[in-house]
Amino acid sequence: MKTGLYLSISPLLVVALGGALLMLAEAFSHHREEHESRSAGPSSELALGTAITLFTGAIFAAAVWFVGPEKLDGSQDLAPWLIIDRFTLFFAFTICVGGGLASLLAGGYLPEHRIDRGEFYPLLTFSSVGAIILAAAGDVLTLFLGLEIMSLGVYALTGFRRGSARSTEASMKYFLLGSFAAALLLYGAALIYGATGHTDLAGIRAALVAGNLNYGLVLIAVTLMIVGLAFKISAVPFHMWTPDAYEGAPTPATSFMAVVVKSAAFATMLRVLLVAFGQPELSSWGAGWPPIIATLAVLTMTVANLIAGRQESVKRMLAYSSIAHAGYILVGVTTTMRLHEDGQASVMFYLLAYTVSTIGAFGALILCGSRGAEAVSYEDLSGLGKRHPAVALVFSLFLLSLAGVPPTAGFFGKLYIVKGAIGAGLYPLSVILLLNSVLGAYYYLRVLVFMYMREPAPGAPFARPMKSGYVTSALVLAAVAVVALGLFPTTSLEVAVRAALAP
Amino acid sequence: MATYVPLLLLFLVGAVITGALFTLSSILGPKNPTPEKMMPYECGSESTGGRFVKPSVKFYLTAILFVVFDIEVVLMYPWAIQFRTLGWGGMATMGSFVSLLVVALIYVWKKGALEWET
Amino acid sequence: MEALKSQFPAANFSLLAVVLLLPLLGAFVNGIFGKRLGKQGVRLMALSAIGGSFLASLLTFLMLPRGEAAEEGGHLAWNAWHWFTITGKMQQAIPIDVSFAIDGLNATMMLVVTGVGFLIHLYSSEYMWKDEGYHRFFAYLNLFCFSMLVLIMADNLALLFVGWEGVGMCSYLLIGFWFGETKNASAGRKAFIVNRIGDFGLLVAMSMLVYYLGTLRFSSIDLAATNLSVPVKIWPIGNLSADTLPSFVAAVILPKEPVMVYASTLVGLALFLGCAGKSAQLPLYIWLPDAMAGPTPVSALIHAATMVTAGVYLVARMGAVFILSPAAMATVAVVGAATALFAASIGLFQHDLKKVLAYSTVSQLGFMFIGVGMGAFASGFFHVFTHAFFKACLFLGAGSVIHAMHVRIHDTDKSQDMRNMGGLRKYLPITHATFLISCLSIAGVPPLAGFWSKDEILWKAFSNEIAAPRTVNGLVPWAWPTWLGVAIYWVGIVAATMTAFYMFRAYFLTFHGDFKGWTIVRGWTDPHAGHGHDDHHDAPHDDVKGDGPEPHESPLAMTIPLMVLAAFALLAGFLNAELIHVAPLGHLLEGVFKADEVAVHERAAAHGKEMMMLVPGILAFVAGIGAAAYVYLQNKGAQETAFAKSFPRLYKLIYDKWRIDELYEATVIGMVDALADIFQMADTWIVDGILAKLSAAIVGAAGTVLRAFQTGKVQAYSASMVIGLAGVGWFLVRPHAVTSIDDTKLKQTGEVVVSAAPGFGYSYNWAGPGLAPTSDFSATREITIPLQPGDKKDVVLQVKNAFNGVDTQTITVARPGKKAAAPTPGANPMDDLAPGGKVVIPGDKIPDLLRGLHQ
Repeated sequence: MKTGLYLSISPLLVVALGGALLMLAEAFSHHREEHESRSAGPSSELALGTAITLFTGAIFAAAVWFVGPEKLDGSQDLAPWLIIDRFTLFFAFTICVGGGLASLLAGGYLPEHRIDRGEFYPLLTFSSVGAIILAAAGDVLTLFLGLEIMSLGVYALTGFRRGSARSTEASMKYFLLGSFAAALLLYGAALIYGATGHTDLAGIRAALVAGNLNYGLVLIAVTLMIVGLAFKISAVPFHMWTPDAYEGAPTPATSFMAVVVKSAAFATMLRVLLVAFGQPELSSWGAGWPPIIATLAVLTMTVANLIAGRQESVKRMLAYSSIAHAGYILVGVTTTMRLHEDGQASVMFYLLAYTVSTIGAFGALILCGSRGAEAVSYEDLSGLGKRHPAVALVFSLFLLSLAGVPPTAGFFGKLYIVKGAIGAGLYPLSVILLLNSVLGAYYYLRVLVFMYMREPAPGAPFARPMKSGYVTSALVLAAVAVVALGLFPTTSLEVAVRAALAP
Repeated sequence: MATYVPLLLLFLVGAVITGALFTLSSILGPKNPTPEKMMPYECGSESTGGRFVKPSVKFYLTAILFVVFDIEVVLMYPWAIQFRTLGWGGMATMGSFVSLLVVALIYVWKKGALEWET
Repeated sequence: MEALKSQFPAANFSLLAVVLLLPLLGAFVNGIFGKRLGKQGVRLMALSAIGGSFLASLLTFLMLPRGEAAEEGGHLAWNAWHWFTITGKMQQAIPIDVSFAIDGLNATMMLVVTGVGFLIHLYSSEYMWKDEGYHRFFAYLNLFCFSMLVLIMADNLALLFVGWEGVGMCSYLLIGFWFGETKNASAGRKAFIVNRIGDFGLLVAMSMLVYYLGTLRFSSIDLAATNLSVPVKIWPIGNLSADTLPSFVAAVILPKEPVMVYASTLVGLALFLGCAGKSAQLPLYIWLPDAMAGPTPVSALIHAATMVTAGVYLVARMGAVFILSPAAMATVAVVGAATALFAASIGLFQHDLKKVLAYSTVSQLGFMFIGVGMGAFASGFFHVFTHAFFKACLFLGAGSVIHAMHVRIHDTDKSQDMRNMGGLRKYLPITHATFLISCLSIAGVPPLAGFWSKDEILWKAFSNEIAAPRTVNGLVPWAWPTWLGVAIYWVGIVAATMTAFYMFRAYFLTFHGDFKGWTIVRGWTDPHAGHGHDDHHDAPHDDVKGDGPEPHESPLAMTIPLMVLAAFALLAGFLNAELIHVAPLGHLLEGVFKADEVAVHERAAAHGKEMMMLVPGILAFVAGIGAAAYVYLQNKGAQETAFAKSFPRLYKLIYDKWRIDELYEATVIGMVDALADIFQMADTWIVDGILAKLSAAIVGAAGTVLRAFQTGKVQAYSASMVIGLAGVGWFLVRPHAVTSIDDTKLKQTGEVVVSAAPGFGYSYNWAGPGLAPTSDFSATREITIPLQPGDKKDVVLQVKNAFNGVDTQTITVARPGKKAAAPTPGANPMDDLAPGGKVVIPGDKIPDLLRGLHQ
């Protein structure tokens, strides 16, 4: 038995086996249909189990990180299909934390909104498995496999509210465009295999360095793969599915998509760009992927922030905000061409900060509304600061973190990205990023203005917070993480620097 | 490229002949349509409803379950051929694969996907 | 005491955690559990939190190093934790810590914040009793105290900035406390926007300090400040040159020579922008009078005693930087003097009691800035100290009056209008006595506190002279003209006269004469009982001239703070009475400002005139009070009416605050609105119009294919993806001739290296002087070009990619300087700053956006 191998992939195994067990538990539970009583639905049993599974996965990832995968005998046996290095483990940790928090949110949300069906939890867990595989994939085949495992689950989660036309429509759109993007990615992978004779990323790079191949095929393949990945991180102009899908999906699924799917996509984007296409010609500022990523970053930040400012629905605003954050992260991705470790570390730190802040913001939005009195528009939140100070306070905390106000996690995320951009000599990009975060502050603070400085118009509906131990505990965990990352950013940044891929 | 020219030519000739036959028959053939003649042919029995009928979703479910187990069997063939070389390691690997599918089978069973009448 | 000292050594003085955390705890408990605690619980929590913090501050104050240790700059320090690290320009790590350092300056400030803070908490516990947001109010108030303490205790600018934003946030929350009213909400918004402008200045100053000094710690800034005495070229900026502008514009705005200033001046001005925003100086003062829409105790604590003086504190704290730049100092002093005069003139004819006090605060802040701007840091800070007492007392007194008026008048504006008051002396004896003492104090009547601090500032303005720092690299620093101090002195005297006048106008109108609020009927009861004061909804029974009961004195919880503050307003001056050589506070601060005040001298002409220059100061309050008594006590305001009649326009103009708000409305806000309109238009036209329609057109072309899966607008989505795909592909398939130039070796070898960005499947062809002409494309990616000073060479690069596409770029490399003269680095000081070996690149092939890369 290769203990080292099993130990090193233990985060993945824990989540996968946990998912299978949850699936069985769900099948054998007695809940068939949507329940009237909130305490007796499948969520009461499964939410906690899912959270435990995923948090255990996170703990295992952290443990393996600290032991060091290079010390475990056999940890590289699965390479290049699955590469277990600190990079993978960092993302596995982020993914598990994001998934765990999302399942806690679901534990409160699904019963409250009468869509309490147990499939949610296994789907979420298997999606997380796919995300971890995606982050670990060192071969385009496993990459595609992970992408599909992750995406199929998420398509189903998006359409989870079966009765709602909007949810179904969102799911359908996401599925169609997702398949389109996956096809592009797969086509790119096929072409690159045709050009280089390799499917593993390191082999592709070696073949590209050696030269003497069909340059046309390679360039088209690079185009297709970048577009396929840009779809998953919802970069403009490949973002159009995002607002619809995010708004139509039940909020816990939205938060899962916003953090887990995005983290995994960024992980694989970094790996593809830096490992497969990392040789000087393709990572050249003149004619390689960096100017493309930089342009995508500028478009993504600007377009998303401009549109987000005009939204009337808070959830849709958060959807656009998550697109905008992808733009900020893309700036970090661009910097990796010059600052290898620091650039990656800024991306990873940002993703961690973004994960807890975004989950928190969506969770606070869930907590703000109960069935029949949901928090949809800004007006619904009027006077919340007066009626429910605690709920409003945590909501403010997460929004301030997303806006990048010190001393929250989000501030340091932005700080490190901007620092990287300046260090890499990308001054215009850093200026655009700063201008955009000013734009962003506008719509985040608008929520605060409504919560603290408005009263609901007489007779107008307003949000009544729900009561849920699950949601509350998720918010407390996320809030602690946001504050801790803001107060002690250096430690986690060092962790991220050590996790960076070798050049 | 030159090697493919005869093939291309063949495609071309095939397309032209087929197209020509259909076009000519529709132009030259006598037409005398009656309502009975325009009805879909169903082995002589009276046809009911339009041409497009939505089959029950259960067909799809059964079909997809079949595909899953079909692929399982496809994977088992090479393993069975190499059974001796792979030895116990192969047995364990295939065992875990099959048991995963068993879990899935239990799930669909409990969920009632195998019951036709519900 | 000794036991305490061993428990809390000066280098690790963790007692500060108690000072800080108690108010935070109070805010947390009251904010989260306030509703469940009940009002008594909230009151107990808030008062004990701030009271405990006060006791700990007092202990801190007592444990400060004394005597010689204090002279040597001894202080108490506590490093809570390492926060984060940034990298300086020399690639050195700059740690930013959550750490605190306490010396005489901020220890005194701590006592003011927690002490006055406690009194105001006590007062509010009664004043706000009937408000439904009681717990929320105290949560905010405690949070404010915490943020203010962070601000003043921080030992570096980064942490100070956290406190700075924190107090700002609490201030908006409290201004907008009754957010139901649009007036309050818009006042909060105004404060927010104006303060953003100030924060921008502070951020710029912080970045420059990191760049030039590599530190944000105050103690290190003090030591390293002289490194700011370097000339900086501020014009021309970037690539903006005469070519890019129309010639007639360029002739006007583009100077021929680069404009050079000292870095210290830039830092000083940027810092002062921040201070002017927070401390409501011209032209950013507009938010403060509106901020009085918040509850009165808030006006007393935040908008009079503590937060608004943060700017003065920061200038005093950064004295080492300011002293290097006489120009920045002069800006501070002149803006201070202008604000003092301007705000005082607006105060002359206001009818709203709180508005009078608000403009008085702006004016007094101006006095403080005169002090610190003239290099009299201790005097300026001493005025912060005394002002905290008398102005808090005045605001709380006004609150007590409003409290009394609320028996019958529930509308905020009417209950604060002095025309509805009068004769309250006999109904509110304690309020009256304390208000009078504070008025005398602010008017500068000896020997009250205000006299000592104000006259000290005016004397220093008259006598001080700032020595010019030494000249660096041939840039002569700006020097003070001698008349400036004297002019500021006289402006101060005029402002002080006005101050005495309007304060006593307010006093006489409120407490003397006949009561004009309503007809007093003994034993009258309110048929609509149950209103909280200040929670003013215009009730229909607000018939001002109706009947009502006697106004009554406020309860003890409100009068005790008044009495304590009045006692300080009376006596606090003796803590720094330089004139009679009793100055314990001055001695305490000596160690703090010793290094900063080396450049400050007494003018020879002013020597020995201290007593003489006191006379105008004394005449000022005599004239001011006398005039007010004549007009308002004897003639019941007849002259004011007459003035209003004979100069109606001028009177209206002053009453309308010189229409500055309207000016802002028309200019700044108008511009912002216009910008918003432009964005909205861009949104409708570009986003909705062009983007949506363009994708629709492409979809139309591919319609037959895509119609098969037509669900909603998903086809438009995929069309956008296809466009993106095409864009990415187009970029990769086209050749890109992009160059970068390495001129680091220029000074040593006289050569620059021009290299082309690598590309997949690229080959290169170079042409230019000194290169063998060839038509072949090769793998040579970089070439070396020798350059003599004065040389200018064109190099042509052609790039061919895998698809045989060719892209061409011409690069001009040029080296300024006289031809044939050997490069002598540093001979001319301007040479280092002018673009020495920089190479000019025409960026025709590079999108503007990305040009910064090619430096």
